[in-house]
Amino acid sequence: MVVFLDVIEKSLTGKPCSERDFDLRIFSTKLRQIVKEYDIRYDPENLVPSDNTLADDIFKAAFDFYCEVGTYCKDTERIIRFDESEIKEGLRNAPSTIVFGEGVDSGTMIPRKPEDKTPPWRFVGAGGVAVSSEDVFMGLVENYAKIPLANSITTPTLTRVDGMRIRPYSPLEILGAIRTVALGREAIRRAGRPGLPILNSIATADSAIALVAGLHPQYGLRPTDGYMVATLAELKTNFDLLNRVCALKSLGLPTAAIFGPIFGGYCGGPEGTAIVTVAYHLMGALVYQAGWFLAFPIHIKHIASSMPELLWVSSVYAQAISRNTDLLALYYDYTAAGPCTEMCLYEMAAQYTAAVTSGVSMETGGIAKGRREDYLTPIEPRFAAEVAYAAAGMKREGANEIVKDLAAKYVDKIADPPIGMKYQECCDFKTGKPSRKCLNIYDSVKKELKDMGVDLNRT
Amino acid sequence: MSEEELLNKLSEAVVACDRDSVVKVAHEAIEKGLDPVKAIEKGLSKGAMIVGEKFDRLEIFLTDLMMAAEAMQAGLDTLLPLISEEKVLKKGIVVSGTVKGDIHDIGKNILVALFSANGFDVHDLGVDVSTSKFIEEAEKVGADIIALSALMSSTIGGQKDVIDYLRETGKREKFIVMVGGGPTTLEWAEEIGADGYAETATEAVKVAAGLVEKKRS
Repeated sequence: MVVFLDVIEKSLTGKPCSERDFDLRIFSTKLRQIVKEYDIRYDPENLVPSDNTLADDIFKAAFDFYCEVGTYCKDTERIIRFDESEIKEGLRNAPSTIVFGEGVDSGTMIPRKPEDKTPPWRFVGAGGVAVSSEDVFMGLVENYAKIPLANSITTPTLTRVDGMRIRPYSPLEILGAIRTVALGREAIRRAGRPGLPILNSIATADSAIALVAGLHPQYGLRPTDGYMVATLAELKTNFDLLNRVCALKSLGLPTAAIFGPIFGGYCGGPEGTAIVTVAYHLMGALVYQAGWFLAFPIHIKHIASSMPELLWVSSVYAQAISRNTDLLALYYDYTAAGPCTEMCLYEMAAQYTAAVTSGVSMETGGIAKGRREDYLTPIEPRFAAEVAYAAAGMKREGANEIVKDLAAKYVDKIADPPIGMKYQECCDFKTGKPSRKCLNIYDSVKKELKDMGVDLNRT
Repeated sequence: MSEEELLNKLSEAVVACDRDSVVKVAHEAIEKGLDPVKAIEKGLSKGAMIVGEKFDRLEIFLTDLMMAAEAMQAGLDTLLPLISEEKVLKKGIVVSGTVKGDIHDIGKNILVALFSANGFDVHDLGVDVSTSKFIEEAEKVGADIIALSALMSSTIGGQKDVIDYLRETGKREKFIVMVGGGPTTLEWAEEIGADGYAETATEAVKVAAGLVEKKRS
């Protein structure tokens, strides 16, 4: 069994290689070869394919790919590789259930399968998108916690401490990390759901030192919250990220590997992006010894994940992982459009219908490409959780038609999407309640989805 | 082989990301007495422009773009020593990097490849670059542009730091400062006093060309 010290040893003794050679002559070359070898092909008519063989081939291709390519450690400029038996064992040893939260707000995250009637885990909130002030942070998190279907919270990221813009690796980042934790816990308590787990702890921490600072129990994090460690594109890590894994593992905290393979980048097209998304799960299980996994394949140019090619990626990677492992896998979306727009809700509905029907759970992600401060409201996560819940049990064939119809509504606008409105423009600043205009959009898109066959009455 | 055929072959070899072929055709061009400036502008650069356009439409992907940039550089390494300094026509000199505390490089790499492909002389400082390093390098190479990349909402403050540092040391007017990357927006660029902003690397090249032209006129 591979233990964390073995990973560190491999990072120090693995094959030496320049980063450029890893990107261009190992990763890219092998990926092209494996896409061809397994004859993986994107099909725009089947964004949610019902072909189990395709899903299994993508899994096998990713397994072979990862065995050969491994993970690049930027600090040692060496490749961390695992053999076939080590990867199989790593997948077997990864947890298949994790209990998050406390008391009546606790829940168990379990693996799902394609067309599974088991509702997905609903990890709801800001997806780490930035906010400009602590007031906006509190208003949002309190209202996320009031979303009836939320079973865990993803907080925003603070960008300022007392008006000063946070710099990475600075004392401001440490203060920001601590405040994120303390404010998040307080906002959830105010919502009357004190046991609800925060799974993206600690959103404001970019460095290991800030993460460790925010972990101190007096600030409010618990062993039943969730903790994320990012990877670097593509299939890379460094010592700062491994330091976080080390700290979290030492405390026995449930750690997620998060990864955003880039469509159009070194992954190439949809076929390569799907294979790399699956390979990241293997990297997470082995290098980060992760217990849960969060994927957000993303478009290199549009910084969103709602275009048809990426809807296909979200479906086939989810099917590959859920059919071939018991990993706790979640999909995280990026919309091009901003809050309080029909397009944003269409994008979310397409993505979560594709991913949930294909066997994974969900985290609500980056609205308006995740690039604009305060472009967040409680409406979008609420809507996403409802769609995800309703998609459980849907047949892939039926989901495919719904997803294609939804994509047709916005695909021409992705290059120039409506940016929507800020939290301060959409919601009452004192109560956080959305405006009538926002609610009307939410109601009308929900009605459209019901007419398309999404069973939102259950929610 | 006629001059036109040689130029086409140079361009095609860049598009095919075929480094060996680029070098071979460049040597043939030299042997046939082709003007190296013309070989660069009408051969290598034409190929690079085609690659940039294809990448913009995602008909090719980042790996192709990087390989084409390598092929283009191999051609330049062959041809540039034959050109006198004053004849080397550069669209501009760029110092590029990801700001302090940010270790993400893909967006910056695309920018570097597209700037190079479009005739800019690019000095890539890599990731996690300190404020003073940007400025020292820009002064050393006589840069027209300092291009600052940042991927995280927590790291874009580093873009402001470079601009503030330039202003407070009396060097702001010496350089065009451009910002870009995931969380940056036009509003952010205006707020911190950057000269240029673009959402994509392709747009950045156009914005940069316009800013350099304006600076030089």
